[in-house]
Amino acid sequence: MKPGETLLFLGFGGIGATLLLALLWAPSVSLEAFESPAAQRIFYWHVPAAWAAFIAFGALFIGSAGWLFRRSEQMWRLHVAGSEAGLACGLMAVWSGCVWGAAEWGTPWDWTDVRLNTFGLLTLLSIYVVLGRGSQPDGVETRDTFAAFGLYGFVLVPVTYIATRIWTIRHPGPVVGTGDDGSINGDMSLVLLLGAISFTVFIVGHIMASMRLTALEQRLERLQTSTDGGE
Amino acid sequence: MATTLLHLSQVQVRRGMRTVLDGQELTVESGQTVVLWGANGTGKSTLLETAAGLLPLEVGHVQHGDSVVLDSEGRRRRTPLTLGVVLQKNGMLGAERVGEHLRCAMSMSGQSIDIEPFLKAFHLTHRANDTVAQLSQGQARKVAVLAGLLPAFASRAPGLVMLDEPDAGLDHDAVVALCGWLDELRARGHGLLLATHDDRLRAHATHVLDLAKDGVKPLDEIPALPDVHERTSTPTRPLAAGGFGVRMHVRTMMWLNTNAMAALLTLGVMLAMGEFMSELDGMQQLGVVLAPALAAGLCGEPLVAALREERAGVWWRAVNRSEPHASWLPLLIGLAVGFFSATALAYPLDATTLGAAGLLCFVVWHGVGWMQRSTQRLARPQAVFVGLLTPVLILPYSLLVSLLS
Repeated sequence: MKPGETLLFLGFGGIGATLLLALLWAPSVSLEAFESPAAQRIFYWHVPAAWAAFIAFGALFIGSAGWLFRRSEQMWRLHVAGSEAGLACGLMAVWSGCVWGAAEWGTPWDWTDVRLNTFGLLTLLSIYVVLGRGSQPDGVETRDTFAAFGLYGFVLVPVTYIATRIWTIRHPGPVVGTGDDGSINGDMSLVLLLGAISFTVFIVGHIMASMRLTALEQRLERLQTSTDGGE
Repeated sequence: MATTLLHLSQVQVRRGMRTVLDGQELTVESGQTVVLWGANGTGKSTLLETAAGLLPLEVGHVQHGDSVVLDSEGRRRRTPLTLGVVLQKNGMLGAERVGEHLRCAMSMSGQSIDIEPFLKAFHLTHRANDTVAQLSQGQARKVAVLAGLLPAFASRAPGLVMLDEPDAGLDHDAVVALCGWLDELRARGHGLLLATHDDRLRAHATHVLDLAKDGVKPLDEIPALPDVHERTSTPTRPLAAGGFGVRMHVRTMMWLNTNAMAALLTLGVMLAMGEFMSELDGMQQLGVVLAPALAAGLCGEPLVAALREERAGVWWRAVNRSEPHASWLPLLIGLAVGFFSATALAYPLDATTLGAAGLLCFVVWHGVGWMQRSTQRLARPQAVFVGLLTPVLILPYSLLVSLLS
C-alpha cells in the first residue's frame, strides 16, 4: 500500500473513532446554553471537517499558483488533489453545519452571515472547479482558467477568517484558544483534537492519493497519444 | 526607412497539451507582405492570432510598433497601430448590418472613408443594409475581409493587417480584387501578415515564412507596386464595445428573452402568492421588492453567448481589446424592474428603492458577465457550470437590503 493510501485509511479510522467518542463518551453541553444540546455533538465532526477543508483549499491555492507561475506538473496535480479534497471536506462541513443549524437556530442557512456564506461559496467553487475541469479536455487553457479560479477562491479564506472575528451574526466564533469563557472543557477538547488530527491525516492522505492518481491518468493519456501516433 | 510594425520575440505558445510555437521570431515592416505558409496544423493561425495579441504567451513578447502589446507575464497593452484583422471565422454577429460592421471596423482607425467602391468591387452594394444573417457564406466572408482591410485603407499612418485564409469561399473575381488591394496597402506603407494556401495570394507577397522550415525568407519575384490614388478620409470616433453591445441588445431584444423574463417570472410568482407583504417586516419587504432586479442580473450577459457566433467576441478583442457588453443598459432595466416590482407589490416608491434596484441589477449583471467571460478561453465554455459561482452575488443583495433597512 502506498503512503497516501495508508494515511487515508488511518484518517478514516480516526474519524470513525472520533464519531464514536463524540456520540458515546463526550460530555453533554449545558441544557441552558443550547436550544438543541444533542445536536451539539455534530460539532466534533463539523469543526474538524471545516479545518480539513481549509487545508485542502490551501493546497488548491498553492497548486494553482505553482501551475500559473511555474508551469509545474507537480503543482497542477496538487491543484487537482486540493480541489477534490476541498470538495469532499467542504461538503461534509456544510452538510453537518446545515443539520446543526436547523436544530439549533431553526434554519439550516442564514444568507446574512458572511462566514457561513463565504465558506459555502468556497465549497461551491471547489464543485465548480472539479466539475468544470472534468468537462474540458486537459490543456493549458483548461489549467490556466481553473488555476485562476483556484487563486480567486483562496481570497475568500482570509475573508472567512475575518468574518469569524468581525461579522459573526449567527455563526459562533472560535472556541479553541480564545482564553475566554466560551472555550470548551478538557474532555471536549480531547475529542475535538482527535477529530482534528484524524481529519488532517485523512486530508493529507487524500491529497497524496489523488496526486498519484492524476499522475497515473497523465501517464495513461501520454501512452494513448503515442499509440495514436501523436507526440 | 522601413518602420517595424510587428515583432514577435522568442515566442512560445501552447494550445491544449501541444507546444505549437517554440522560440518563434517574426518581424513585419511597413511595405512588406509576409505570407505564412505550411500544411494544416503547422501553426499558421496560432501565429497570426498570437501576433494579434489573442493568445497567451508562455515565453517571449509581441510588439506592435514600439509598444509591447503582450508578454509572457500576461501584461497587455492596447496597440498604438491601426489594426485590421480577419480570422478564420468571420467575427461578425448575424444581427449586424453589412455597412454598419464595415464602418464599425473602420472606426477603430479613427478615420472613415467611402465604402461604396469596396462594396462595388465585391458585388455587395445592394447588400449594404442587409444583416449578415441574410448573406450567403461567400458574401459574409467578403464582408469579413473588407472589415480587415478598411481600417488600413482609412488610416493615414502605417498600420498592420492580419488575414487568416481570406480567400476561403471567395470567387475568382473577389480573389483578383483582393490581390489588387493587398498590393495597394503595401504601396501605402502598411504591413501585411497573411496565412494562406493559395498561390494567387502568395504571388503578391514580399516574404514567406514556411512554418515547416526556419525563418522568414524574401521572395525572388516581388510584384510591382501599383500607383495609389488619394482616398479621402474623415475623422471619426471609434465605436466603443459598450456602445456596440447596447446597440445589439436593443436590436435583438436579447435582454427581454433572458434578463427581463427572469424578473417578470420572479415578480409573477410573488404576486401569485397573494397578499403577503403586510405580514413582512421592512427588511423583508425591501428584499421581496428587489428580488426581481436580482433575478434579472443573475441571468448574466446574454451577449457573451451571442458573441461566440463566428468568434465575434474574439474579433472584438483583437481590434478593440475588449468584448462588447451591455454597458449602462442593466441600470436602466433594473430601474424599470424596480418600478414595476414596487408598484405591483404596493411598496412605497422612492428614489432610493429604484436606485438600489438599478444598482443591484447593474452590479450582478456585470458580475455574472465577468464570470461567463472568464471561461471563454476554454475548449468547451458552454460546458462549464458558471451558475455555481453566482451565489456569491446573493451577498451584496443581502447586505444592500440590510443596509437600506
